Amino acid sequence: MDRIISQILSAIRAPLDALETMLAAWLPGQEIAALVAYALYVILIIAGGLIAIGSRNLVRAMMGLILTFLGVAGLYLLLASPFLAFMQLLIYIGAVGVLVFFAIMLTKNTSFGEEASFPKLPNIILGFLAGLAPLAVLGPIMIIAAPKIGERTYQATDTAELGRGLITFDLVPFELISIILLVAMAGAVFLAWRRPEARSRR
Amino acid sequence: MTPLTLFWLASLLLLSIGIVGLITRRTLVGMLIGVEIMLNGAGLAIAAAAKCTGFSEVHGQLATLFVMGLAAAEATLVLAMILVVQRRFGKVTVRDISVIKSRTEA
Repeated sequence: MDRIISQILSAIRAPLDALETMLAAWLPGQEIAALVAYALYVILIIAGGLIAIGSRNLVRAMMGLILTFLGVAGLYLLLASPFLAFMQLLIYIGAVGVLVFFAIMLTKNTSFGEEASFPKLPNIILGFLAGLAPLAVLGPIMIIAAPKIGERTYQATDTAELGRGLITFDLVPFELISIILLVAMAGAVFLAWRRPEARSRR
Repeated sequence: MTPLTLFWLASLLLLSIGIVGLITRRTLVGMLIGVEIMLNGAGLAIAAAAKCTGFSEVHGQLATLFVMGLAAAEATLVLAMILVVQRRFGKVTVRDISVIKSRTEA
């Protein structure tokens, strides 16, 4: 029985090993693969962003926003920060996406709402001017004055190190952000609370 | 072009897209979408700066996590504000929300 299993395992492993050596011979380095992945994620970000800011249907805009979040999560993976990528999926797509969806639904602002028509031309021109300004100013500076840093090995960040950091040097920000979240939640409940007398007066 | 520049260019792109969305949208919900895109770019810039330089990468990633937490708290509060504005004005277009205090409103 054991012999059969080991034979099956070796039969499975042999083509996988061959594939691995083939891939290693084909890819001159990991740089090209990383560049291709980077281009893919940036295309995701641009497409999602254009949908998010241009769609006249807010639900579609939210789907574009989620596409952008997915692209950024891929960039985090490319940065060898898997924990951040999963947090991006959980917090942004999971929490913020659902919150935006609630905001759209609670304001009855779907395909026939106030966003249904295009904004006026001056607004579009001014918006693109304001958006291109940081791109035109910071972009060249970023390319010219990029810090020259030597090669670093990109190893995935240890999640245990992140947890250790949260209870040592980042303890105060960690507690502060829990207070901020609590205050935000209480404030949201307080703002949205409809008092009984106000309801009876209407 | 170093990897740091590439990641920073991506986050700069996110900032620009967010600004365009923030300005051209006419409702609070659309503006919230723009703000979220901008905050996402900020987190990416911090994480890339910590990972691609000699700085401690744990510090940078924790800072990005705090940015994400702040974005979640901000989205919660903005949702509540949108609800209040919708209840009071009946619409959430920024052009129509110009009254802070009026006598007719209880």
